[in-house]
Amino acid sequence: MRLAELQARMRQTLLDGGSPDPELLALIADPPLQRERRLAVYRNNVRHALLSALDTAFPVVRELIGTDCFTTAALVFIAQRPPRAPALFAYGGELPDFLADFAPLAELPWLADVARLEWARNDALFAADREPLSPNQLATVPVAELPGLRLELHPSAWLHKSPWPIHAIWDAHQPGGGALEAVDLARAEAVLVWRQGGAVRQRSPGPGESALLAAFALECPLAEAAETAAARDPNFDLSAVLARLLADGVLPRPT
Amino acid sequence: MSPARDRATVPAQAGIGLRHPHLPAFLAEPQPAAWLEIHSENYLAPGGPRRAALERLRGDYPLSCHGVGLSLGSAEGLDETHLARLRALYDRLEPELISEHLAWSTTPDGTFLADLLPLPYTGEALDIVTANVGRAQEALGRRLLVENPSTYLRFQEADWDEADFLSELARRTGCGLLLDVNNLYVSAANGGDDPLAALERLPLAAVGELHVAGHARVATPVGELLIDDHGSTVAEPVWTLLRAVLARTGPRPVLVEWDTNIPELPVLLAEATRAEFHLREARDAAG
Repeated sequence: MRLAELQARMRQTLLDGGSPDPELLALIADPPLQRERRLAVYRNNVRHALLSALDTAFPVVRELIGTDCFTTAALVFIAQRPPRAPALFAYGGELPDFLADFAPLAELPWLADVARLEWARNDALFAADREPLSPNQLATVPVAELPGLRLELHPSAWLHKSPWPIHAIWDAHQPGGGALEAVDLARAEAVLVWRQGGAVRQRSPGPGESALLAAFALECPLAEAAETAAARDPNFDLSAVLARLLADGVLPRPT
Repeated sequence: MSPARDRATVPAQAGIGLRHPHLPAFLAEPQPAAWLEIHSENYLAPGGPRRAALERLRGDYPLSCHGVGLSLGSAEGLDETHLARLRALYDRLEPELISEHLAWSTTPDGTFLADLLPLPYTGEALDIVTANVGRAQEALGRRLLVENPSTYLRFQEADWDEADFLSELARRTGCGLLLDVNNLYVSAANGGDDPLAALERLPLAAVGELHVAGHARVATPVGELLIDDHGSTVAEPVWTLLRAVLARTGPRPVLVEWDTNIPELPVLLAEATRAEFHLREARDAAG
């Protein structure tokens, strides 16, 4: 058998849960009774490596549905959407969409958005580095230029307006976090994820700050972004919000 | 900071595989490891704290970059995107050694299976691996060390055994050998062979690095298999085999690998001390 065909057959047998391909077993030199068991070592290795990658990236989703249910769903995902690149830190980005369409979990409509939040945290850990903008640097911008200033978000930043309270659900699974029973599942919530000083952080910004950040992400000038924010929240305080964003390192120094 | 060192080589001393849980200890103070090895694929992300930590440590320790994803045995050739990412990482870190495995992980349709899968040692496979190693050395601009894998099965179709396959590969491509002593032991046990007999036929002059690691013994309905899980201390017979290897090769850089059930750093460093002891024996014997 040509090597390319052998490798295609191995792929099928290693990712598929069924009994191994008899033609593949026939290629193995070890005694016939041992062949399936020997091939199973590789199948276990592949599953273990890919499951571990998903376990690491989605700990809260796993806690929410239980390890057994998570493993069942993850194995279906692995068989349907195995990695396309040899870098496991980047494997799992398609799991949220998969969970959204996974019928057995349909009664947990917020689960996919919790998974999106966890993936954003994974992305934030590995995103490109950028120096944060300091208040002093911002202070050097001439006042006349401030309205037209276009501020960016740090490469690690992710802003998501969810119809579900995903920040509160996530927080309830952290040491010292809130109680899951106290979370009002009917409440929509925006979440901001970013990396500061090597650590991934997250919080739930208010409607004005969310609108401001969304406008920054669209490269709107500062005056326009502030107007959008004020329209969403009559009490929006631009200087207080900017001060906090600068202190948190959410805004990078312009390149 | 450690004293000035020769940047061109990894010393013939004991190093350890650098794993994420140990990064804080290394960043806090110098650790008694003569050199470090990383898994290249863990550092391919554009940024973040792990990459920053490695770039800080890189100035203080000789470095080996061990690839676990290039898939030298892929029938359809290498992933050029991956090669370019590795090249960028290696150009930035300037490692003294780089290595990959005699195995495959990527299928013809581009699926990455995240394991080091076995090759039939056929003439076709040798031609494929030869071309892939040649392409890798060209694209990476460096000589590659190729590691003997741990295997759990063998294919009927075989024109070579593993030792001869590796000798011929080294002859054709000029690559070096990363001799994993634990893999040599595990594969021989799983195949019912004598590891010393395989050792005699390996291209020992091409050995640029040695690995040791722990393995697990798993009872199955069809007999015991040794699993290369890198999850425990090095087994006594593997230390014995390492001494036999060092007696033939002379002192070479020895790496202790530990990847699952990762222990506290002192446990890993104690394994490196044991390796250093056997290296001293080899130096004394060599006079």
